[in-house]
Amino acid sequence: MARHVVCRVEELPPGSRRIVPIGRRGIGIFNVNGTYHALHNVCPHAGAPLCLGRVTGTTVATAPYQVEWVQEGEILRCPWHGWEFEIASGETITEPVERVQTYSIFVEDGQVIIEA
Amino acid sequence: MGPVAKTEVEAQLVDAGVHPLVRQANDLREYMKEPYKSMPFPGPERFYYPHPIGEHHPDAKPAQGLPGSDPDLLERQLFEANGVDFAVLLPLTRGLLPDAELGNAVAAATNEWLADTWLSKYNQHGRYRGTIRVNPMTPDQAAREIEKWAGHPYFVQVAVPMQSHHPYGQRQYHPIWEAAARHNLPVAIHADGGSSVDFWPTPAGYLTHFIEYSTFYPINFAFHLVSFMAEGVFDRFEQFKVVFADGAHDMLAPIVWRMDKDWRPTRHEMPWMKHMPNHYLKDHVLFLAHKLEGPSDPAIMAEWLAINEAGNTLLFASNYPQWDFNVPKGAFVDVPADMRRRIVLENARELYKLPATRSA
Repeated sequence: MARHVVCRVEELPPGSRRIVPIGRRGIGIFNVNGTYHALHNVCPHAGAPLCLGRVTGTTVATAPYQVEWVQEGEILRCPWHGWEFEIASGETITEPVERVQTYSIFVEDGQVIIEA
Repeated sequence: MGPVAKTEVEAQLVDAGVHPLVRQANDLREYMKEPYKSMPFPGPERFYYPHPIGEHHPDAKPAQGLPGSDPDLLERQLFEANGVDFAVLLPLTRGLLPDAELGNAVAAATNEWLADTWLSKYNQHGRYRGTIRVNPMTPDQAAREIEKWAGHPYFVQVAVPMQSHHPYGQRQYHPIWEAAARHNLPVAIHADGGSSVDFWPTPAGYLTHFIEYSTFYPINFAFHLVSFMAEGVFDRFEQFKVVFADGAHDMLAPIVWRMDKDWRPTRHEMPWMKHMPNHYLKDHVLFLAHKLEGPSDPAIMAEWLAINEAGNTLLFASNYPQWDFNVPKGAFVDVPADMRRRIVLENARELYKLPATRSA
């Protein structure tokens, strides 16, 4: 495990992302509503570059045919097959749950740091 | 000397698909009210795609009346010669008649007739169970018909035709499934007649010969199955169970494998479908077995049934008195005993809540 400086916090405002070239496939860094998250850039389904997918929300049904849009900006949809992952946990929102590897990420002296 | 105590016999074999008929087509009118009583409607023989050598098995023709109309002959052939302990009766109607009210009258009369004959006068031995026919063209009326018969001790399920004007999962049909589920009555879906206002029997148009129709028609179950799933019928009505009564169980696994793979990418379009498609099968979907399906090589039958989880989803049905009568005592003899027992007895006993014994 090593510490990597990603960037300064001003460079990664809420709603933005960056792929850092750590390892063979890279790690995606996301700022979701002010909190940073780091996900391995490999989808557990078929190995897609997960972190290049769309950051979006998703739907829930509060009653049959009553659809609500929720979790805007918190969901990452894989670019190859559309699987929906919750960025904060790295878990699919569907069962059986599959998980992308996540990394410890924090801010120190105005810098975004990950351990990977 | 007082009455002799009845002895009870342990049940070994349930026939989950028997199609009784009235003695003559017009007998049904006895149970109808005007103006429908005097209206013409199609008789019990298939109109489109008639079977080239006859709809019914030649041995099932009684001396008088239509095949499947004589309880003495039926009992000799099913109960005595084949060891059937319980028979679930599923009378066929005529599909979707253009006049929905006439269709309702035919369904209602079918239920009155069945209750008056096979489920009472002919049922002193308590070995028959029946099916409530409803017309899906008027879902609210169908729900009322279910309410009417739900308390009857011998009606164990509801039936609608396989042919439909819309996939059955769509919301206009929900009152039917809601009523059936509330009363813990499974819904059988069975091809009806072929003399009604169907759309093309296939998405490629009209086929030419009987064999083309009969090979593909049972596979229509798939349209209703994917609809039930994607419209959230199984999520919304947790007690709802469907029995695909024309067979085609062999086709289920590849369809569900495919649907499973499409579910995560497209889930957001139908968020009321909360689970992977295969999750719903065990609690909601069953099939009647059909004589003409399954691998030709008996050596792989046992493995085939295991792959398709037939131990949970398949029920033996003879289809008496149809031409493709599946001889009960010869059914599934090439599979392990515990699998056979699930198919010929236990799945039906659980689904229809049949007792462990029947009168001798």
